[in-house]
Amino acid sequence: MTSTDQVSSTHRPGTPAGLLTRGSTQFGLFVILFIMWVVFSSLAPGFLSRFNLNSVGRSVAIDIVVGFAQMVVLATGGMNLSVGAIGVCSVMTLGYLLQMLGLPIPVAILLTLGLGGVLGWLNGFAITRTGVNSFIVTLATASLFTGAMLIFSKGVPLNGLPPELGAFAKSAVGRVPSLAIVALGIGVALYVLFKHSVLGRQILAAGANPRAAEMSGVPVDRVIVFVHVLSGVLAAAAAIMLTAKNGAALPGGAGDDWLLPSFLAPVIGGTSLAGGLISVVGTIFGALLVSTIRSGLLVLQIGNFWLQLFLGIFLLCAILLERYRSALSVRAQTRAA
Amino acid sequence: MNRILSFAIRQQWSGILAGVIVGGIALSFATPQFLSEFNWFVMLRSICVSLLVAFSQMVMLGVGQMNLSVGALGGLVAIIVGGLMDAWGMPPLPAILIAIAAGGAAGFINGWLTVRTGINGFIVTLATASAFAGINTGITRAIPFYNLPPEFVAFGNGRLGPFPYLLIIPLIVTVLLAVFFSRVKTGRYMLAVGGNAHAAQLSGISVPRAIITAHVISGLTAAAAGVLAVAQLGSAQPSIGAEWLVISFAAPIIGGASLAGGSISILGTVIAVMLIGLIQNAMVLLAVDPYWVTFLLGALILTAVWINRYRAYRMGED
Repeated sequence: MTSTDQVSSTHRPGTPAGLLTRGSTQFGLFVILFIMWVVFSSLAPGFLSRFNLNSVGRSVAIDIVVGFAQMVVLATGGMNLSVGAIGVCSVMTLGYLLQMLGLPIPVAILLTLGLGGVLGWLNGFAITRTGVNSFIVTLATASLFTGAMLIFSKGVPLNGLPPELGAFAKSAVGRVPSLAIVALGIGVALYVLFKHSVLGRQILAAGANPRAAEMSGVPVDRVIVFVHVLSGVLAAAAAIMLTAKNGAALPGGAGDDWLLPSFLAPVIGGTSLAGGLISVVGTIFGALLVSTIRSGLLVLQIGNFWLQLFLGIFLLCAILLERYRSALSVRAQTRAA
Repeated sequence: MNRILSFAIRQQWSGILAGVIVGGIALSFATPQFLSEFNWFVMLRSICVSLLVAFSQMVMLGVGQMNLSVGALGGLVAIIVGGLMDAWGMPPLPAILIAIAAGGAAGFINGWLTVRTGINGFIVTLATASAFAGINTGITRAIPFYNLPPEFVAFGNGRLGPFPYLLIIPLIVTVLLAVFFSRVKTGRYMLAVGGNAHAAQLSGISVPRAIITAHVISGLTAAAAGVLAVAQLGSAQPSIGAEWLVISFAAPIIGGASLAGGSISILGTVIAVMLIGLIQNAMVLLAVDPYWVTFLLGALILTAVWINRYRAYRMGED
């Protein structure tokens, strides 16, 4: 009885027990987040100013989408180290299409998303064809993509973009920045994909146990290619949002800078590196937590220099807390059964 | 002769060795500068740091783990050694010893956290990489330490014909690691853990101890790489280590190490580092856009991995 309960809670998140444990992960994060907001806003009144909230809202929107780009690959138990590289390629491509070719914004955006998808497809194709670990393939393609981008762009920023793009990033619906609404929209789409579609369930099955999934008729290779395409498209989407926020296409804008945040948000939010377990809402909370810490430390004027140290320590603490909590909840379930 | 040939072909590093030789010959025809003594000195000196960085990751791959903090750790050690000599006026030898010890301690922290918390080593070292880089920028505020003792800088620039003095250190480390992994019990245990942690545990090997040992050795070699980078540059730049991640994985993997663990090749890693050094040198001599190095490195990793897969597949058929 006990063992069946545990299996169902880990492998079928739809059951009540599964909802309880997953729900409390996000609840725990929510509590940490709330405490931080109280601490930061009482220490530094500027934290809750409209200006700061707007700037946090815009940067967190990008962090969320970057986190999603990693999360969809983590769902299959793989990883994508080229999220940042696809991001920079997309930033520069968008800039080129808008500034050099003068394409209308919607066309340029679609083409950029398409490029992200193609680069992601290359990752997926190389991984499934060679059977090599996704870590090493995407490490290599990250180098490949970044190199190609620098060769083509010569590392020169493009800052003659149409003003509408920057205006969109600054705009807000009510008090919510438009970029945050885009990120939430993507989140809803991913939630539906993973909760309510056959494909989404197949992705999770392939991540939880590829052999069993293959035997149950899941086309594991095609699923892996799909998540890499999706990851590429999401990285491109984040890149477009970043370009809009900066108002320019900067070749140093994403790249290595995205490596840490792309893992931080999903892993803090309860996504497992082993695959088969993800949380869209958790990833959003994870990104919020990271942005809150970053912005709070900046407002407290601890300074940019020590920021990375604190981010690293907070990440470890958050994961440790989560481990401790899930160990407790498993024990509670065992006792209840 | 035939037996030697068939032995060489079966070795994973045979392909890259052929690449190094062919590339070297082609390059010496393409530009006469390639064979100049000074060029060899520059190339060998650039290999010194890369080799230690590659070893630092190779040790981790041996136990089936990875260390994403190699670059951040090396950068932190570079700042420590520079800071001790510049700001505190310490003589080189104690400064180097303290800095290397700090690297070992940082490696121990990586290993201890991985073992004690049970968190994936990937995530642990990603987090500690951020922490080490944070300490680095926090201490330096992105300003390098310039005033290093002249004898320290002289050692970094000194050479005997085409051979830089710096080369002594990676050579010693290579021999030590070769002995360690082939003759010393702890080294054999580490490879056993990398090959099959569960089986190793059941045979009475302490898996946590093997992982912590690997992290300490990885920290020490990354620290040595950091000190060497300072000696080579003549100043302790906070940016040291920022670019080490790709090369740290590229060299051992091109050299034939398996990401699954338990299988590493010291000779293969050395030849792979030579190949990468040769490519970088060729780009400079032929005045090609330096961005091509990044591109080619990626292509090289993919090709090497693909060839190794293919060879494993063919040898399985035999």
